[in-house]
Amino acid sequence: MKLQVGTFPVQDVVFGEATRWRDGVLEIHADGLLAEIRRDARILNAELHLLRPRERVRLVNVRDVIEPRVKVDGPGVCYPGICGRPNTTVGEGRTHRLSGLAVAESADTVLYEGNDGWLDRWLDMYGPVAEVAPSGKLLNLALILTIETRLVAQERSDAAHRAALDLCDRLARTTIGLAPPEERTYQLPTSGSSLPRVVYIVCLRSPQHYSGSLSASWVGIYGMTRLTPPWLLHPNELLDGAISGPASSHSATTSWVMTNNPIVDDLYRGHGVDHDFAGVIAIRTRWTAQEEKDLTAYQAAKLARLLGAAGAIISYDAGGNDFMEVMLTVQACERLGIKTVLLTGESPPESEGLPLLMSLPEADAVVSTGCGRPGREALEIPAAERVLGGPELFATSDRPAERIPADSPMNFHRWTDLFGLGTTSSFEY
Amino acid sequence: MISALHAIALNGGAPRVIHGARIEHVCGNPGLTPEMDQAHARQIVLTACAAIQTAVTGPTLFEP
Repeated sequence: MKLQVGTFPVQDVVFGEATRWRDGVLEIHADGLLAEIRRDARILNAELHLLRPRERVRLVNVRDVIEPRVKVDGPGVCYPGICGRPNTTVGEGRTHRLSGLAVAESADTVLYEGNDGWLDRWLDMYGPVAEVAPSGKLLNLALILTIETRLVAQERSDAAHRAALDLCDRLARTTIGLAPPEERTYQLPTSGSSLPRVVYIVCLRSPQHYSGSLSASWVGIYGMTRLTPPWLLHPNELLDGAISGPASSHSATTSWVMTNNPIVDDLYRGHGVDHDFAGVIAIRTRWTAQEEKDLTAYQAAKLARLLGAAGAIISYDAGGNDFMEVMLTVQACERLGIKTVLLTGESPPESEGLPLLMSLPEADAVVSTGCGRPGREALEIPAAERVLGGPELFATSDRPAERIPADSPMNFHRWTDLFGLGTTSSFEY
Repeated sequence: MISALHAIALNGGAPRVIHGARIEHVCGNPGLTPEMDQAHARQIVLTACAAIQTAVTGPTLFEP
């Protein structure tokens, strides 16, 4: 599988009479783009607002943050399988992306009716989280949607995400026919070397248990969110958005994160140099019986062995009992002789629990991204000067009934970095 | 402790852990007839009663 990714950096966005990319400037004809989005009868209103880094602005009811990517040549579409998009296998041919820009999808519509399906995500362009999280450094184009409330949750959610992907398509298509300023080829030729083979195991929560639905909106694999056995993916599939979708804060990932996953990037950079990148195994977490969690771990480890892996890097997107599948996968790999490195955050001291919900002796090589804040204190976020996307915000993600004005200053618990995207550093002592 | 996810209970140091069914119904099985479900639940509880009278030296799993 060979994928050429052409990158078109976006240094500025201007609203104008046409939608086009030229010399790092994305011009947007907002009325034209919004008219297309409003053709969906489920969408009652749609607005576009630009959020710039360091502006004291907050966007609430955020469901996803997406990098515009478009398939220029080769099978399938970027962000496949979700919201009725074709689910042909992706990862080959040519893809164009707009870097430095993201579409932030905001709509007052839950992911699904049920625990953790609520809208507790927000995006600040200022303050301590914006300083360390990747989204604070991007030009964020907020698509704020009002969806027909008489629809069931799944239809409302589908309408919102479909609109956001449609906008991404239209923005990324401005690059078709242009020569990309940057280009990189992603390919895993069999090197025949004696380098150790390494797999990346990415653990992704399924919303099936909490939603009671086989197709609830969430981060999907080709749009599929139900509990499924482990998947074998080529890393190029991730670059084309095969793992993507909206979610609440109970998944640490966004579509932007999964297409810019630094673990995939680093494994590619070291391919043929200090290891051979053998592939990606994606597992679903939050099975509800011990046997299912065990089986998921055994099968993930088996796939890794079939790929000839000597090592596995393991990361995950959601805590709680999901962490069992993560740890059991570490154990299952180690027992098959596959060395593992786990990337994880830690629970903060005030949780009064252990730093990791579960620990096993086999997990003896762990990269910690810490408690999600530089010191012992909670992050203090000053009040916003401007708020978009709604009047209220969840006081904490664990108590959805408690709402506060959306511009409120906050003592934010922490920002969890589960993919190594943060810019905090630490020292050993 | 009766747990659907016994690995985490054992890992957390619970001395006696009884293998429960699943998160949605730890101590029963709604797929059974009411009589069979009651017998199944009773078996789990009786296992727990026996476990609490059993000396253990560390986290131990009991199968109903």
